[in-house]
Amino acid sequence: MEYDVYIHIPFCRKKCSYCDFPSAAGHEADMESYTDALCKELALKSETLSMFGKASTIYIGGGTPTVLPIPLLARIIQTVQAVVPTSENLEFTVEANPGTVTLETMTMLSTLGVNRVSIGASVFDDAILKRIGRIHTSQDIRDAVRWARAALIVNVSVDLMYGLPGQTMDILKWSVGSSMDLAVTHISVYGLTVEDGTPFAREKATGTLELPSDEAEEEMYDYLSETLPKFGFRRYEISNYARHDFLCRHNLGYWQDRPYFGFGAASHSYHNGKRTANTKDINKYINAVGNGESPAHTEETVTREKHIEEFCFLALRTAEGIDRDKFANVFGCEVENLYQKSIDDLKSKNFLEETTTHFYLTPLGMKFGNQAFAAFLL
Amino acid sequence: MQTTHIRNFSIIAHIDHGKSTLADRLIERTGVLTEREMKEQVLDSMELERERGITIKAQTVRLTYKAKDGELYELNLIDTPGHVDFTYEVSRSLAACEGALLVVDATQGVEAQTLANVYMALEHDLEIIPVINKVDLPSADPDKVKKEIEDAIGLDTSNAVLTSAKTGLGVDDILEAIVAHIPPPSGDEKKPLRALIFDSYFDSYKGVIAHIRLMDGLIKKGMELQMMATGKVFEVTDVGCFQPTPVEVPQLAAGDVGFIAGSLKNVRDVRVGDTVTTTGNPAPDPLPGYRGVTPMVYCGLYPVDSADYDNLKDALEKLQLNDAALVFEPETSVALGFGYRCGFLGLLHMDVIQERLEREYHLGLITTAPSVIYHVHTTAGEMIAVDNPAKLPPPQNIEFIEEPFVKATVIVPNDYVGAVMQVSQDKRGEYKSMDYLDTNRVMLIYHIPLSEIIYDYFDQLKSTTRGYASLDYELADYQPSKLVKLDILLNGEPVDALSTIVFSDQAAYRGRLLAQKLRELIPKQMFEIPIQAAVGSKIVARENVRAYRKDVLAKCYGGDITRKRKLLEKQKEGKKRMKAVGSVEVPQEAFMAVLKIH
Repeated sequence: MEYDVYIHIPFCRKKCSYCDFPSAAGHEADMESYTDALCKELALKSETLSMFGKASTIYIGGGTPTVLPIPLLARIIQTVQAVVPTSENLEFTVEANPGTVTLETMTMLSTLGVNRVSIGASVFDDAILKRIGRIHTSQDIRDAVRWARAALIVNVSVDLMYGLPGQTMDILKWSVGSSMDLAVTHISVYGLTVEDGTPFAREKATGTLELPSDEAEEEMYDYLSETLPKFGFRRYEISNYARHDFLCRHNLGYWQDRPYFGFGAASHSYHNGKRTANTKDINKYINAVGNGESPAHTEETVTREKHIEEFCFLALRTAEGIDRDKFANVFGCEVENLYQKSIDDLKSKNFLEETTTHFYLTPLGMKFGNQAFAAFLL
Repeated sequence: MQTTHIRNFSIIAHIDHGKSTLADRLIERTGVLTEREMKEQVLDSMELERERGITIKAQTVRLTYKAKDGELYELNLIDTPGHVDFTYEVSRSLAACEGALLVVDATQGVEAQTLANVYMALEHDLEIIPVINKVDLPSADPDKVKKEIEDAIGLDTSNAVLTSAKTGLGVDDILEAIVAHIPPPSGDEKKPLRALIFDSYFDSYKGVIAHIRLMDGLIKKGMELQMMATGKVFEVTDVGCFQPTPVEVPQLAAGDVGFIAGSLKNVRDVRVGDTVTTTGNPAPDPLPGYRGVTPMVYCGLYPVDSADYDNLKDALEKLQLNDAALVFEPETSVALGFGYRCGFLGLLHMDVIQERLEREYHLGLITTAPSVIYHVHTTAGEMIAVDNPAKLPPPQNIEFIEEPFVKATVIVPNDYVGAVMQVSQDKRGEYKSMDYLDTNRVMLIYHIPLSEIIYDYFDQLKSTTRGYASLDYELADYQPSKLVKLDILLNGEPVDALSTIVFSDQAAYRGRLLAQKLRELIPKQMFEIPIQAAVGSKIVARENVRAYRKDVLAKCYGGDITRKRKLLEKQKEGKKRMKAVGSVEVPQEAFMAVLKIH
C-alpha cells in the first residue's frame, strides 16, 4: 500500500509573530542530538515501512528544516533515502525559509534527490515581512527561488499570506506578480489567523494589531481565487493552486484518506485505523528515542464514524471533492444514506454540487468551508 | 415510638447562615450515617444544590437521639430551602412540623429572609428555638445578634443556643433544646388515618414516592389507601423513613414522618398538600393542606430541536410532581415554534428548573425573557391577564395596564442607606418606611414593581452596597403603570419571543441597550442582519450584525487532523445552541439578553 512520509524539524531562527506551530527558536544546541534521534526513529521504523509498502511522497517540514546546518539536514535526507522504500515517481519536498538558504543548500537538496521545495515567502514587502516577524526580505525570496532553479529543482512552491497587518490590495497584487515573475509551479495561500498564545494575540488584546477589515480581507481572498486561475494556476484544494500537474501530492494525501507516517517531535501519523502524534517537547522526544521508548504521545483509534466524517470533510477540501464510488467501497453505503439532510441543506445554500461521480464544494462553499465541513460531522 | 418521644422540626435560615452544615452535624452526632457515608452537606443531594451551595428541595431525615434523660427520641428533621424564591417549599415543610430552629449567623445578624421565615413559622404556630451559629469566628457578636432577634422579631432569646456548626460546638445543646422545647406531635393513632403529603418524587422502579406526615392513624404495608383530593385508590407497597437513605419500617403512626410508595405510576395522582386516608375507615375531613401557590414569573421554554417537544412535556410533568410551584401550559411562538409557557416563583427557581431540564433530561432549551403577569384593561371594559408580552393587545385596544408591585424588605448597614434609596428610586420604587434594627443596621421597606426586581434590582442592590444588602419581597398589589411593548425586529421581521413590556419612559433607552446586546450575541452570518428595537411603529434603536465574509480553516499542519476536527466540533456544538428564526440563526442567550443589559 502506498503512503506518505512526513518529517518534522521543530527549529526556527526566530518565531514569527503569528505562528503557533510546534517550533522553537534558540535551540541550536539541540540540533545535533535531535538529528541523531530522528535518524534513529527512522531506522527503527524501517521494517514497518518496508512491510507496509512504498512511500510515494516525502515531506520535510517545520519549523524550518533549512535552519539546520547543511551536514545535519543532509544526514537526515540520506537516512530517509536509505530507510524509506520509495516508489518510482517519488515527490520529495523540503520546506525552506528564504532567510536560511543559499545556492549551496539547494545544490545539496537536489543532489540528494529532493525534487520539490516549498518556500515560505509570505509577502513581497519588506516592511510587512519585518512587521510579522519574518527573518528575510523580498530579495531573499527571489534569490531562494533562483537558487533552487540553478540547482535544477524545477518544482518550486511559494506560500503567500493575505490579511496581514499593513497589507493592502496593491501589496497583495505585487506579491502575486512577483511570484509570476519567478515562474513558480505552485502557490499556497493562507489568510492570517490570530492564534491564542502568539505575539499577535497579545497585540490584539492590547489593541496594537491593526489588521485589514473583514471586507478588505475578503477582497484579497476573492482576488486570489479569481486571479490565480487566470495565470494558469488551478485551484485543486481550498488553499492550494498549481500549474499543470504540479499538484502537491503529499498534501493531497491528507485529504484523500491515504496513510502517512510522521517522524520527529510533534509529527502525526495515520495508518492501520489509528492516528498517533509524537510528543511536541523536543527534549522529551530526544530522550524517548534515545532510551528506545516510543516518542508517541497520543494515540486515537479512528472509529468507523470518525473515519466517515474525516473522509468527507477532508475530501471536500479538494476541488474534486468526495469520490462517491470510493466512499461506497470503503464504507459499504452511499454518501446520501448518511448525509442526505446535510447535502440538501448545503445545496440550498449553493455551497455544494454533485455529479454522478462526486460531491464537491462550489467556490462559495469553499469560502464557507467550515460550515460545510461541520455539516459532515455525524 | 410513642408520640411523646417524637419531635418534628425544621431548620430555617437566611442563605449562607449555615443551615446545611448544621443539619450535617445533627446527622453526624446522632450517628445515622457512618463516617464513610458522611459527605459534606448530605441533605443537599441534588447535584445542582451542591454546586450552588443552596437547598432547593426539601428533604427529610429521621434521627434517633438518646437524650440526657436516658430516653430515646425520634427526631424528624425536615429540611427547608433558604432562598426567597422557595418560600413556598419552606411553608410546606413547616406544615409538617411542631417546631423550628432559627439559625442566625453570629457575624451577620438578622437578614431579610430570616424575618420572612420566622413570620411563616409563627403562622404555623411553631415553637422556635433561636440558634446563633458561627460563634467561633472572631467577628462573631452573639449578644448583639440576640438583641437584634429580640428587637426585630420580638422573639425571646433566653433559650437561644450558641453554636458553631463548623466545629460541632453546641450541637448537643441543640439536640437537648429540641427535646425540651419542641412539643411532641398531638395526633391519635386510633383515629381514622390522615396524612399530609408534603413532598414527592418519581422513582423509575417504585413509581411516585410520597413524603408524608401522619396526623392521625397509622399506615402499614398492604393497606388500601385513598387520596382525598384526587380520589386515587392505591395499595401501599413500601413504608419507610429516610435515615437519610430510604429505610423500610413496619409502620408509620400518628406524629411520624416518612414515605410511602404504592401502585402510583401517574404523577398527577399524587398532589403535594393532599391528604391520604384509608378506604376502609376514611377520615371525614381532609387536612387544611396548603394555600395555593401563585407563580410570579413566566417565561417560554422551547426545545431547540422541535422533536423534543414531547420529551419536554414529560420532563416538566416529572418536575412538577415535587414542585407544585411550577406551572406550564402549551404555547406557540412564531419565532420558536411549539413550546411551553411556564410559571415560576422567581428567577432562581426558573434557572434551577431550566438547568434540571438540561442536565437531568438532556434537553436543549431556549428560554425567553421572563415576564410578570400584567393586568390589561381593554377599551371593551375587560381585564386580561397577560403573562407573555407577545400577547399584549394592540395599543388602541388598551385602556390602561396594571403591573404587580411587591413589598420589598431590604436590610443593610446604615452607611448604605443612600445607595439603597438611589437604586430603589431608579427602579420606580416608592419609599414606605425605615427602621433601625440596631445602631448600625437598617430595615427599609419599598413598594416596587416586581418587574424591576426580576430585571436587576437585587444585582444593583448588591453591587452598590458591596454585597451587604439582603432582600426579601412579597406580592403587594397591582397598580396602573405607563407600560409599552418593546419589540425587536431581526432582518425586518418582528421576533415575538424577544418582545418585552417596559416602562414607557425607559423604552427607548432599554431598546438601545437591548439592540446593542443582541449585536454582541448574534454571530455573524452570510448576510448583514439589521437589529431594530421598536415601540409600536416607531423604531427606537438600530444596530447591524455585519455579514460573515468567509469562514474557512487555514493550513493543515503536518497531518494534524485531530486539531481540525476539534475546531469543527466546536463549531457544530455552537450551532446546536442556535435556533433559526426566519433566516437568522439566534443563539440561546439572545432570548435572555434583556436580563443582561444594565
